[in-house]
Amino acid sequence: MKILKLILSILTAGLLLTACRSKEEVAFSMEPVENVEALWQIIDTKYCYIDTKGIDWSAIHEEYIEKAKALDKNDQVALFDVCAAMLDSLRDGHVNLYTAFDRSANTAWYDTFPANYDSKLQALYLRDYRVAAGLYYCTIDNGRIGYIYYPSFSTGFSSANIAWVFTAFKDCKGLVIDVRNNGGGAITNAYQLAAPFFEADQTIGYWQHKTGPGHEDFSEPEPMKLDASLIQSKWGRPVVILCNRRSYSATNLFVSMMRYAKNATLVGGVSGGGGGMPMSYEMPCGWTVRFSSVRMYDRDRKDIEAGIMPDILVTQHSTDKDDLIEKAIEVINKQ
Amino acid sequence: MEHDNILKIKFGTGYQLDTYLSPLGYTGWQYGIGNEWWQPFRKDTKLGKTGRLDHWAHVGRVEIMLSNYYSSARSNSFFGIQIAGGWGAHYEWRWFDERLRVHVGPYLEAGLAVRQHAGNVNKVLSLDIAMDVMAMGGISWSFYGKKTSYRLNYLIRTNLIGFDYLPEYWESYYEITTGVPGMARCSGPWNHNTVKHELALDLQFPHSTWRVGAEHEFVKYGTADLHFMRHQFSIVLACRWKYKIHANARL
Repeated sequence: MKILKLILSILTAGLLLTACRSKEEVAFSMEPVENVEALWQIIDTKYCYIDTKGIDWSAIHEEYIEKAKALDKNDQVALFDVCAAMLDSLRDGHVNLYTAFDRSANTAWYDTFPANYDSKLQALYLRDYRVAAGLYYCTIDNGRIGYIYYPSFSTGFSSANIAWVFTAFKDCKGLVIDVRNNGGGAITNAYQLAAPFFEADQTIGYWQHKTGPGHEDFSEPEPMKLDASLIQSKWGRPVVILCNRRSYSATNLFVSMMRYAKNATLVGGVSGGGGGMPMSYEMPCGWTVRFSSVRMYDRDRKDIEAGIMPDILVTQHSTDKDDLIEKAIEVINKQ
Repeated sequence: MEHDNILKIKFGTGYQLDTYLSPLGYTGWQYGIGNEWWQPFRKDTKLGKTGRLDHWAHVGRVEIMLSNYYSSARSNSFFGIQIAGGWGAHYEWRWFDERLRVHVGPYLEAGLAVRQHAGNVNKVLSLDIAMDVMAMGGISWSFYGKKTSYRLNYLIRTNLIGFDYLPEYWESYYEITTGVPGMARCSGPWNHNTVKHELALDLQFPHSTWRVGAEHEFVKYGTADLHFMRHQFSIVLACRWKYKIHANARL
């Protein structure tokens, strides 16, 4: 019995010990002002484009703290709406607020641009296709041109997939890679897809990570290198990249990289940008905020947050054919 | 030469703070298995001037723990794996017909703890990596029942000097893996606190010895920007046995 009491005492002492918390911890709270303040601080210290975009973040603090003061502590939806509106002022597709009941998203970065993509028109070309991991491929223009549609950089593929696709296109004059409405995904997939169009390893851009809480506290630009080990297959014939405004984030980086590829032509609309690599953090209420945190630049050290201008700007007008694919065919056939 | 082996399972609760991943504290459960062995350095242990059987001995440990922790808001979770191993030497004094034993000595420990944060983007993993020279001590008292003999043990070890690794506050795993360095630094009680202690009761039955006990591990370190803290309490159930090692035999 004594032993049992001893063990129970030890257990109780242990539970009390683990109840001790660090003073550096942010305590859980649903208090609206506290949460809006915390969200403001997260963006103020970690978001990478406040000064670049000329945002008066201090004025936004005053505006939204006042709104938070008027909120009921138990009204989580109202708190979400205030926080989402504050984040909307960043005009950034990489900024989202995630809760159990909703997710905020800014759409202004593509709303006012031409769509330049219609899946029904694309289906006129993407016929009898095969799927190599995330790559949908077929030939167009009576078998003279290879066509790859890659809808998401979140879907991985390997160099073997690329090799199979290139084998299928061995008799083609050129290749079209369609990344319209591709909202991005993993940067590693962007490198993998770009690799066959480069001869050797090289710097394809730069990035800067934040080193402190100040708006302009950044490291020296670090080169982003395309590694030669990724070049398992090579494509030396013409290649056209189709992009639109919703070619975003990792897709934007891919488009940026392809400007430096030999025989590559960008066709379509301005890509969506999303040059800031996102990260996330938590608020005192447990909601997660995602935000751009690492600035990315092209090889000429120009910021790619606003998007990449194509070599040939094309806007979709026809209702019976895909003007962008038709332009790509024309570009390849002229070479 | 007798070799004392203790195979144990552990389960318990804990608290973790890792401001690289989240400003919130996380609490949850951990489970693990471990093995430790104790062995004198020499067969001919020394009889001291007072006739006590004092000796030098060494101890080794390996363990692996899995953990599942939830944020204080219950909105996100960590999954963690901890691996630790160490080896130490100590001198043991024995008194009162060897019923009271005290040992003190140095201990070298290496540990790796990986945490995966389910909800994060591009900042999904965090690591504790540390290697420490520690001070180790212990005291045990044997007492006897009618059919069972008991030994109550208390062991403690704390870090003296070593190194630890921290990611830079702002960097993502892409940056960590592509060349933006984290920080490996010299660590000690001024910037890294580790205390591990264990209270255990050995119950020696005619054909087997079992151990029941509790372990507490406290780890705290950081920089001005980053704070890490691990506070884990585990119940330990173990089986203890001895076997003889013959001369020139390998373990």
